[in-house]
Amino acid sequence: MKQNAIYPKVALDMFVVQLTWALGFLGVMLLVHIGKIIASTFGDYEVDSYFNVVFIAANIFMFVVGILCVNFLPHYVSNGVTRKDYFKGALIGALGLSVALPVIASIGSLLSKVILNLFEKITIKEADINSVITDIETDSNIIGNIVDSVVQSFIVPPYIDPTSNFVLAIAIVSLNIFIYFLVGWLIGVAFYRLGTLGGLLFIVIGLALIIVKDALLRLILNLPLPPKLAFIESLSNSIGGIIIVAIILLALFGIRSLSKNMTVKL
Amino acid sequence: MNISVEHINLNYGNFNALQDVTFEINSPKIYGLLGRNGAGKTSLLSILASYRQPSSGSITINGESPFENAKVMQQVAFLYKKDYKEETDTIKGMLQDAERYRPNFDKEYAEYLVKKFKLDTKKPIKKFSTGMQSALNVVLGLSIRTPITIFDEVYLGMDAPSRDIFYKELLAEQERHPRTIILSTHLVSEMEYLFDEVIMLDQGKVLLHEDYDSLINKGFKITGNSEIVDNFVQSKKQINMEQLGSTKAVTIYEKLNEKDIQAARQLGLDIAPLTLHELFVHLTKEED
Repeated sequence: MKQNAIYPKVALDMFVVQLTWALGFLGVMLLVHIGKIIASTFGDYEVDSYFNVVFIAANIFMFVVGILCVNFLPHYVSNGVTRKDYFKGALIGALGLSVALPVIASIGSLLSKVILNLFEKITIKEADINSVITDIETDSNIIGNIVDSVVQSFIVPPYIDPTSNFVLAIAIVSLNIFIYFLVGWLIGVAFYRLGTLGGLLFIVIGLALIIVKDALLRLILNLPLPPKLAFIESLSNSIGGIIIVAIILLALFGIRSLSKNMTVKL
Repeated sequence: MNISVEHINLNYGNFNALQDVTFEINSPKIYGLLGRNGAGKTSLLSILASYRQPSSGSITINGESPFENAKVMQQVAFLYKKDYKEETDTIKGMLQDAERYRPNFDKEYAEYLVKKFKLDTKKPIKKFSTGMQSALNVVLGLSIRTPITIFDEVYLGMDAPSRDIFYKELLAEQERHPRTIILSTHLVSEMEYLFDEVIMLDQGKVLLHEDYDSLINKGFKITGNSEIVDNFVQSKKQINMEQLGSTKAVTIYEKLNEKDIQAARQLGLDIAPLTLHELFVHLTKEED
């Protein structure tokens, strides 16, 4: 008897569950957005677009969802699903979520713009997220540099304004949050499989991957680089792109290697 | 379904949880897995269910290695005292998952069992009492109808009437849809009538694997005058001895033939069969 593939079911189930979380997250961000609009009427009548509000917080959201992803493994194994089907399903679900999130956010952004246009006084700020990077004062010691890079990466990832190039803007956000998900997943799997020490080691590895990914994306998109990372400007765009793909493959390889024979804890 | 376990070892660091475990299961029967705390029951069952791999040795189910084998894993279910304290899902959600991932799942039967155990279908599972969570495991285990179903001390916290429902449903199900059921338990006396075969584990090793009826015909308690008892049992395998004054009771683990029984009666000895519970206690007790 030919066995029906199980991973598409896993993918759909995981996508739906995580999308519900994402809608909760987008709802909270909508409240933040509305709060900001109301607050702006007491000040300069300038607000960020909804897309930009979501943009900044989506990384952390996807990072956390990625960390939680390992908890689905025992659930699926107890339902007779192999670790491999779980891996494939979770990966496809994450890809779906990475695309769905910015698409929903931009639709929301569009709607909010239409509504805000009714109030003539309120204007939407021209976002200048990328230039922030070059303005941040960096510490002179190494630890300070690393902390700065990480914080910068979480708060101000490489940004393309959706009004300038919609598809590219969505693609960059998707790529960005997908990598955050993968790094979270990698860290979660490492904690489950290797315990606290191994998990901590993978936090370091994960953050390193994120810093490199960020710098390379900036390089490819011709965005300003933080002064300390200016040296990578000598790389060509194609090499940058190849390294980004390699980072994704490396994270996937790590996740699969750690989870392939993983013991499900009782 | 054939389950063949060959020379399995499982080590946790320096601790050998399972040592050279070998046995074979061939027919759709109810198997009782007995062993004291730490004997390796759960370790063995989690290997059968592909929750983990053994350190060495091999296991095959219908000739195939089960670990990461989608076809085999779908046929095996492992129900144990799961930690449901984070489970916000309701019974409805759990049954939906079972329906999605278990091809033989019988929804109507599951709903019948849910009613029978009086489980609240709208309450999050984390709010269930221990006994109710155990009953949920029973509902899942019985209704998903996997050809191999493993219940690891699944009755924990269930009250006597609920356990009774479980035993009755188990036997009824076995009649309707025979499958390989492995029950690991400490409630030996309560559950022994369910077993077709018994596998006993002791300190990570298989102590015995026998048909229930032939096993139960191997244990006897010979009581009488100390000297006469000693004489009678000297060539037999003794597993326990109690003495009160000149009266002695020796427990033997050996089949007695008609001649032996006649001889014992003529000597004025009392012969009583052992329960599985007594056999289990004597066979697995620590040497002083």
